[in-house]
Amino acid sequence: MAFNREKTRNFCIIAHIDHGKSTLADRLLEKTGTLSGKALQEQVLDSMDLERERGITIKSHPIRMDYSDARGESWTLNLIDTPGHVDFHYEVSRSLAACEGALLVVDAVQGVQAQTINNMYLALEHDLAIMPVINKIDLPAARVDYVIEQFIDLLGCEPEEILQVSAKTGEGVQELLDEIVAQVPAPTGDPEAQPRALIFDSIFDPYVGAVAYVRMFAGTIGKGEKIKLFGNEKQFEVGDIGWFRLDRISQKSLTAGEVGYIATGAKDVRHVRVGDTITLAENPCEEALPGYEEAKPMVFSGMYPTDNDQYDELFDALQKLQMNDASLTWEKETSAALGFGFRCGFLGLLHMEIIQERLEREYGLNLIATLPNVEYEVLLRDGSVELCENPALLPDVKYIAEIREPIVTASVITPKDYVGPVIQISLERRGVQTKMEYLDPERVNIEFDLPLNELVVDYYDKLKSVTRGYASLDYEYITHRKDDLIRLDILINGDMVDALTCIVHRDNAHNWGLKLCQKLKELIPRQMFPVAIQAAVGTRVLARTSVKAFRKNVTAKCYGGDISRKRKLLEKQKEGKKRMKQVGSVEIPQEAFLAVLKVER
Amino acid sequence: MGLYIHVPFCGSICSYCHFSRTADHSPENRRRFVDGVLAEFEMRRAGCGVLSAGKRRLATCYLGGGTPSELEADLVARLLEGTVGRLPLAADFELTAEANPESLDEELARRWRELGVTRVSLGVQSLDAGVLDLLGRACDPATAREGLARACRIFPRVSADWIIGPGLRKENLLAELTEAAELGVEHFSVYILELHQGTRLAALAEQGTWQPAPDTEIERLYLAVIEHLDGLGIIQYEVANFSRPGAESRHNRNYWLGRPWLGLGPSAHGFWGRRRYANFDDFGDWLDEVESGRLPEASVDPLDLSARRLERLILSLRTRGGVPLEWLPGRGWDTEQGRREGLWEIIDGRLVLTGRGFLRIDTIEERLAGLTP
Repeated sequence: MAFNREKTRNFCIIAHIDHGKSTLADRLLEKTGTLSGKALQEQVLDSMDLERERGITIKSHPIRMDYSDARGESWTLNLIDTPGHVDFHYEVSRSLAACEGALLVVDAVQGVQAQTINNMYLALEHDLAIMPVINKIDLPAARVDYVIEQFIDLLGCEPEEILQVSAKTGEGVQELLDEIVAQVPAPTGDPEAQPRALIFDSIFDPYVGAVAYVRMFAGTIGKGEKIKLFGNEKQFEVGDIGWFRLDRISQKSLTAGEVGYIATGAKDVRHVRVGDTITLAENPCEEALPGYEEAKPMVFSGMYPTDNDQYDELFDALQKLQMNDASLTWEKETSAALGFGFRCGFLGLLHMEIIQERLEREYGLNLIATLPNVEYEVLLRDGSVELCENPALLPDVKYIAEIREPIVTASVITPKDYVGPVIQISLERRGVQTKMEYLDPERVNIEFDLPLNELVVDYYDKLKSVTRGYASLDYEYITHRKDDLIRLDILINGDMVDALTCIVHRDNAHNWGLKLCQKLKELIPRQMFPVAIQAAVGTRVLARTSVKAFRKNVTAKCYGGDISRKRKLLEKQKEGKKRMKQVGSVEIPQEAFLAVLKVER
Repeated sequence: MGLYIHVPFCGSICSYCHFSRTADHSPENRRRFVDGVLAEFEMRRAGCGVLSAGKRRLATCYLGGGTPSELEADLVARLLEGTVGRLPLAADFELTAEANPESLDEELARRWRELGVTRVSLGVQSLDAGVLDLLGRACDPATAREGLARACRIFPRVSADWIIGPGLRKENLLAELTEAAELGVEHFSVYILELHQGTRLAALAEQGTWQPAPDTEIERLYLAVIEHLDGLGIIQYEVANFSRPGAESRHNRNYWLGRPWLGLGPSAHGFWGRRRYANFDDFGDWLDEVESGRLPEASVDPLDLSARRLERLILSLRTRGGVPLEWLPGRGWDTEQGRREGLWEIIDGRLVLTGRGFLRIDTIEERLAGLTP
């Protein structure tokens, strides 16, 4: 089918996590006949197993649907799926930039959540036609009228503009398709101009190299042409070009208004960055499309193999993962306590968890991950600024003029009954409340400026627990800000364990040290010798405790000469110790390195 | 080489015992047991060049149980005749039999002595009526004392088992050991009471009607026993074993030295030809196998190099002979700290556990095993 810009609609679905975005996408595929019901696997657009298991979208995957309406008119619908988590803010914004319209989906039971609001603002910034959709209306607990009220407050729309669907049963999906055609504007762009294509995602394909997912904003790009990337000035030849069904469908060219892919042949997905602009090498456009940023890791953690022999395997696995994930960064690191490993940078906590899980699951590695950290800016007395994402590498205090930490705006939406606890846990984590508004008589949106470090440690878990899971959270980096921060070391039997060092606010250091020691005492099992645990700032010990040695622990009899039993028991225990790390003469379990996460304030 | 024969019969079942034993036996199955052992011995002999050629002398034999004194003397005679009697014996051959004080009467003791038993190991456990009752022993203190005196009169060597358990007063326990030593007991096996699933005592503990003694209490008693026996000239030579110099159990010591022995009977273990085997635990299962002409082995453990190395380490650690320092792991092991903490001493280039070290031997073994490739 030839491309007809007037008959094309490019749109995305935005929603809070679990509000049914992927299920709705599946239903659209089914209704348009893009997929037969038989081939329809739940959440087909989420291609990784992990995504399907966790019910979240990590990697977005666009798809082109052909739709014939009741009057027999044919339309081309490009659905651009977006990642559903706060960590992937930037990726979401690039996907939105590729569309003209957005379905803003809200769960009929849960109502508007933090991500709903942030996504809506993001869509407004990109000037998209926003279509409010209430999903899961088939659920007995659905509160459709209530959500209608919320939408009216939020968007200032009319009740009749709000679509009601059940992605599960298919109810209302036909109407939704007609409304997409009616409300989403056709794409614009001059097919004769110099080509400009926005990369809104990229993947690595072992056969054809890095593949860019693009939205053409102007001009035409054809197979075999020489293209240029604006961001890094690199040039490639278009090996393949086309659009998407479930797989890639080759075409001769892509032209203004179209959504598709360009296989660049680049050996590394990092050369094909999300947000960058593709143009032709010979006939380049003047300016790049706006909004390009390099995805910047926000959260850092040391990854170490429990068994040092797995170091090379870990190295290989990280290289492979990075091919497909430009936002993952890492560099080699050596820890006195943990040996050789890597300091990895992630977009956020979820991104970190996913990478860890993939390393363990897909690559069979046993890992110790150190406490997640943020990147500090350290102003030295000589006026220079150093970036530090590993607390153990913080320069000596006598050289430091000030330490600045990343601050985020955290917005929390919570039922009004939990406002008190939410404010309390935020203040305990050095949050400053900047805004509070009632979204409706029941629910409140509160915003805080919060150190990112406090957020990554345990804020989300805590928030969920004090609001019984009802609160939702979104956050965005705003700035680095100076505070009175110091480095807290942990000593085990007198030796500093670099992997347990953290940076804390001076006022909290004492309390923090005390509780951290206590937590470590619970997590480090009794062993042959007593284990002394201390928390110290510089040479000053703030807190100390110890794990007593094992007491009576003797199997008196190797009865009847049954020696195998004893030996096999030891061999089994040895197997179970694989997740323990040897630090000096002490064995420290993996969980201990994340002890800080479990400390109660 | 050594020979171990497991006699699975008991007069009554003790509340803490989880060994292979049965109190339900008749003259008929006692006879079948003896025939079975002889058949097993023949099978093993036929399958082994060393044994059938009589190339190796038998150094020790041990009748364990169960309660060997439940077996009629004539049956013991047949048992020994068909096994020990068919092997060349070492000049200082040691023949030990376990017995309960109440079942080893004057007549049986004399018969055993005539049959060549040189050493008896008496399951005394305690001389306290309350403790004996709790343990479910079918013996009162007076009978136990008589049995000890009789054994010491009749046999060249006598060993006695004691249990460190609940409700013990240190003074009483030590006085009991003194009394036994004065009667002529030269060897003690002192065990710390362990709870095993499926025993009456474990059930009582689970119901909460009875409580095991706290660890601190047990530790205190164990250390006191070591010191006290030492004062009597009865020296600790293994985690649970004490003797006058020269009166050590040679049979058991060979286990710890990694010497070969043949095990016969239900649940018996053997170490022969660089492999360990374990017979079926259950008397009926074992009997079925031997009566059908099959070796009654439930499992065989072929030892590879790393297994042999680990066994050598843990077995040596159990003894006061200790472990040569060069066997210890190079990384993650702090010999000095253990010495400072009083867990071991270094004697002639060997690491030798102290009483406090023996109390933590499982942890120490686990640590060593974890660090050994």
